[in-house]
Amino acid sequence: MMAKASTIVEVNNLTYQYTDRPVLQNLNLNVEEGAFLGLVGPNGSGKSTLIKCILGLIKPQAGKLSLFGSEVHRFDDWSKVGYVSQRANRFNAGFPATVFEVVSMGLFGQLGLFRFMKRNDRDKVMQALKTVEMDAYAKQPIGKLSGGQQQRVLIARALVSNPTLLILDEPTVGIDATSARRFYELLRKLNQDQGLTLLLVSHDVGTMTKYVTNVACLNKSIHFHGTAHEFETNPNLSSLYGYDVQHIIHEHEEIAK
Amino acid sequence: MIDVFFQYDFLRNALIAGVLIGLIAPMLGVFLVVKRMSLVADALSHITLTGIAFHLLLANFFAIFSLYDPIYMGMVFAVIGSLFINQLRTVYGHFKELAIPIILSAGVGLAVIFISLADGFNTDLYSYLFGSVAAVGNNDLMTIIIIAAIVLVLLFVFYKEWFFLSFDEEQAAISGLKGKWLELLFSILVALVIAASIRIVGILLVSALMTLPVASAMQWAKSFKQMFVYAAIFGQISVLSGIFLGFHLDLAPGGVIVVFAVIILLLSLLKNKIVKVSMNRNVQNR
Ligand SMILES: Nc1ncnc2c1ncn2[C@@H]1O[C@H](COP(=O)(O)OP(=O)(O)O)[C@@H](O)[C@H]1O
Ligand SMILES: [Mg+2]
Repeated sequence: MMAKASTIVEVNNLTYQYTDRPVLQNLNLNVEEGAFLGLVGPNGSGKSTLIKCILGLIKPQAGKLSLFGSEVHRFDDWSKVGYVSQRANRFNAGFPATVFEVVSMGLFGQLGLFRFMKRNDRDKVMQALKTVEMDAYAKQPIGKLSGGQQQRVLIARALVSNPTLLILDEPTVGIDATSARRFYELLRKLNQDQGLTLLLVSHDVGTMTKYVTNVACLNKSIHFHGTAHEFETNPNLSSLYGYDVQHIIHEHEEIAK
Repeated sequence: MIDVFFQYDFLRNALIAGVLIGLIAPMLGVFLVVKRMSLVADALSHITLTGIAFHLLLANFFAIFSLYDPIYMGMVFAVIGSLFINQLRTVYGHFKELAIPIILSAGVGLAVIFISLADGFNTDLYSYLFGSVAAVGNNDLMTIIIIAAIVLVLLFVFYKEWFFLSFDEEQAAISGLKGKWLELLFSILVALVIAASIRIVGILLVSALMTLPVASAMQWAKSFKQMFVYAAIFGQISVLSGIFLGFHLDLAPGGVIVVFAVIILLLSLLKNKIVKVSMNRNVQNR
């Protein structure tokens, strides 16, 4: 283990508004290296907005945002950051690309202009596909896979550039419970074995808290940031952030099997 | 039958031009189709007509314009139109396709005015609308060769970037790809290819050459790379048939090209249907 973890994401007093009403206000959040942080919050609480700010896709009206110690708009080493968006698997299902081609895209930013995939890059793609256990599907058209399989492929695409930080926005939406659990196990393995720092937005609070190390609760700003255990044992938080409801549904599913 | 094409300069020109546009139009069309922008080709071809009509009008008043090929004015208009479409697509974020009817009708409206001011239709205009085997002069050919070279080089250089952008704009932006700039370059190329293809295919049918071979390619390709190979092959078959039959039967080549492209598409669909049915049989026989 590392002696002292460094801060990878640093958000200070962030305010963001699409219209005149702020969606995020005076928000503070740090993500330490090696953490597996689950970000929870009700629908419309600004989770995706926060993620987009962190990625520099949208520009906040106020506040400071750093990635790996440099300000987001100056940060340029994007191969260190993997991202799977909320809408990621809603691409045009008929898109005529193979699983291999989709994962290759993860290397394009690193390759830059006038450079093409070499053998070494192709090996990286196959390695990433192996990590998510999808190497057997390399030549399949992406549109022919199930939702869970597509999600794995998109994780592989985010992993192929060997990032330090992986950000996932509701990756288990539309995936059955069993696949979702396998998916979380994969994330835990990446976090524990490869030291990958993970920021995971999830609705599925009951299941998610069993895998993450830390939980942050968001509603316009961060209301709680602590260990998964602290979150689970705090009755106020559990009811506020839908833990109980999700938990019951989850248990129910277990019984139904 | 083929040697006649090398006896006459104009036929040789048409043949070389045909091979080139039969290559670049469908290849660029692959990106247009997967971005769900096939109709952009239609809008831009009509804007090209506006440019050509504007040139013909100017030529009535200023003799100097008669020295130049109207296609250059067409290209200028097409490029400006493509910039407008790009802009309108951002303005109407959720109704991106609105940009197409806006540009298309504005283009046709202006073209009609220019044409009536320039004393109406003449045979020249007819050949722009439907294409012509005899229309490719030496200057035209040079322009087409230059455009084809530019397109092929840029397709090779920006293949990864355009591929990523058409699949997933947001993710591409995070990877550090300069989306806006690449989008713009792509639109300009589409405008140039359309203007270059018009001599042979004609304004009304040029978008078909960019989309029909791609639609057929989708039935065969097993990867995104293969899309380009199939689209180019089907484009070649259509264009060459169009030029040969167009010349021998004295038909407008644009029409023959499109009819062949449609036949290829029908055969491709049929082939996939047969494959599916036989696969189902195999499953049932087990
Ligand atoms: N592009 C946008 N324009 C205007 N409002 C938006 C936009 N995107 C999101 N919002 C609003 O911002 C709030 C937060 O949205 P979001 O970050 O997507 O929430 P979450 O991901 O937590 O469900 C919501 O009220 C939503 O309606
Ligand atoms: Mg969201």
